[in-house]
Amino acid sequence: MSMLKIENLHVRAGDKQVLKGLSLEVGAGEVHAIMGPNGSGKSTLVQVLAGREGYEVTGGSVRYQERDLLALPPEERARAGVFLAFQYPVEIPGVNNVYLLKAGLNALRKHRGLPELDAFEFLALVREKMKLMHMDESFLNRGVNEGFSGGEKKRNEILQMAVLEPALALLDETDSGLDIDALRVVANGVNSLRRADRAIVMVTHYQRLLEYIEPDRVHVLSGGRILKSGDKSLALELEKRGYDWVKQEAASA
Amino acid sequence: MSVVTLQEARSSSERYRAAFEAHGRADDPLTGLRRAALERFVAAGFPTQRQEDWKYTNLRRLEARTFAPAEGTALDVGAHEQRWIANAGTRIVLVNGQWMPALSSPGPQLPGMTLLTLRQWSEHDAAAVAEFVARTSRAQPSALEDLNLAFFEDGVVLDLAANARPDQPVYIVHQWTDGATQVMSNPRVIVRAAAGSRCVLIEHFAGAGTGECFTNAVTDIDIAADAQVEHYRIQQESLRTFHIGHVNVRLQQNARYSSHDIALGAGLARLNLGTTLQGPGAHVALHGLLAPLATQHLDSHTCIDHAAPHTTSDENYRGIAGERGRGVFNGKVIVRPAAQKTDARQSSRNLLLGAGAEIDTKPELEIYANDVKCSHGATTGQLDATALFYLRSRGLDETTARTLLIRAFAESVVTSIGPQAVRNHLEQLLDERYALPAGVSS
Repeated sequence: MSMLKIENLHVRAGDKQVLKGLSLEVGAGEVHAIMGPNGSGKSTLVQVLAGREGYEVTGGSVRYQERDLLALPPEERARAGVFLAFQYPVEIPGVNNVYLLKAGLNALRKHRGLPELDAFEFLALVREKMKLMHMDESFLNRGVNEGFSGGEKKRNEILQMAVLEPALALLDETDSGLDIDALRVVANGVNSLRRADRAIVMVTHYQRLLEYIEPDRVHVLSGGRILKSGDKSLALELEKRGYDWVKQEAASA
Repeated sequence: MSVVTLQEARSSSERYRAAFEAHGRADDPLTGLRRAALERFVAAGFPTQRQEDWKYTNLRRLEARTFAPAEGTALDVGAHEQRWIANAGTRIVLVNGQWMPALSSPGPQLPGMTLLTLRQWSEHDAAAVAEFVARTSRAQPSALEDLNLAFFEDGVVLDLAANARPDQPVYIVHQWTDGATQVMSNPRVIVRAAAGSRCVLIEHFAGAGTGECFTNAVTDIDIAADAQVEHYRIQQESLRTFHIGHVNVRLQQNARYSSHDIALGAGLARLNLGTTLQGPGAHVALHGLLAPLATQHLDSHTCIDHAAPHTTSDENYRGIAGERGRGVFNGKVIVRPAAQKTDARQSSRNLLLGAGAEIDTKPELEIYANDVKCSHGATTGQLDATALFYLRSRGLDETTARTLLIRAFAESVVTSIGPQAVRNHLEQLLDERYALPAGVSS
């Protein structure tokens, strides 16, 4: 089943055309990695998919579970099962971490016609997920990401993903700023969330993450378009040879 | 009786003189004091924007009206009690500025604490009142403080004996009657905390009605060595009210004072909050929240005067202006030559919720000592778009996300509030103020 189908997507940020005809299809149960040089449009793509304001879609379409994703405000995308793990998770002092998790989960459940969880049921669920992410319970009663280290913020993102159980998870540079131990914890968390009815799209600079989370497909995004797709061996080749050969190959094609 | 009637008098301050002549009682033991204050007020007139302290706050609309001294009157408790803070402590209700014993629930006298009405004190010992006012008045009282002095009818005198620590707060409700219009009240609250005593004072300007009224309230607090006063001032008067507040605090050695200035009500409000640290080791903490909406103009001017060595102050004001609301914060800190080793911190952070809102914030430091630490910071900005997106991307609708971020911005002031009843009350007010519109689901 097609989870996400992007066709000929054109996106402008300010007066800069960032995406110039990007097409990508992701099926349920698949893990895709999008790699590419700085400024190629990787982060723009996932932000547009999650509904961030400030981008103008000038052409193309995005279907998510057979719906027009771009027509929905961000909260409705989240409730429909789209989740973005931020590259730079936002610190929000004064909004409790556990409050956000509970409000988010209950908004999703309400949308799906499920009863809201009471405080007891919710805490039991969160405790279980926190173990998975090796997080201390003291995180719960702090402000959202307030004073968290870089690694703690990324773990908190995956904790949110584990609680919200999205159908489509978009991971934006989730490996950046992580030491090797933190990377393992985050990768284990993501791997434990792989399921037949869930798709994961990871944006990353480095092949390193893919050693821990093995992708089904790897795409090279450059100049606002997917230039090349392949299996995980493409990532290894990119690691060895860089991106220029892909660009040259695309230019001569 | 004066031959000048209200209509004939030309200037506003002269109209107040006519009101003074019309309302003054011949047997008032404080006549001399009042008349002197009135003459100073008439000579000075209402403050104008030409005065630096009033640069951002225009009193012309207040000056154009003439408010007659309000009469105290009975009040239907049932209709108003729901606005009051339940179980906040020993309750005293001033209606139109006058103590209504029937509405108050002072309960058993707490050990070491004496509560008197100012009227009783004036009638029994006018000389003591005159002496107190003369001693506590600043060398140059502001014109509107003088207006209060000329007209005050009643108020509360709270005396704490040495080391007295009443186990519950004193809760003073300032309440207008529903029908009050074109009237003013000039309540006066006096607190004298003897050495080593502690108390919590909650002043609640609860408002009422829709008539135009003028509240001109003075609170005067003396804190002796090692004593502590925690002062809450919850201002939620109705939108047609003019609210002017004056709080003067003097602290002796190792005394502590904390203020929690919550300004949510009135069409135009101005608080002058002055603290003088007269003894070494004294400490003040000023917390404030100014949250204008609609066309409200809410102004707090604070002054912390470090007059002794080793004194400390910590000030945290938050402004949240929405719609066409306007907030003004001015934080003056004076460090006198003798006040070496002063440590003064000030933070003013402000949030604008719309293009029509405005906040003017200004630190004002006058430092005459050389071995001191003073820091200040002021910021003004809008809701963080990235934080808003972050919350929405987790499934929260835009209104809920905005409300959460606004509430988060006020959080440090809310959590500075000790008594749970007061904190709950403020949380409820903020919920109502920034609540979801009807019909929006979270």
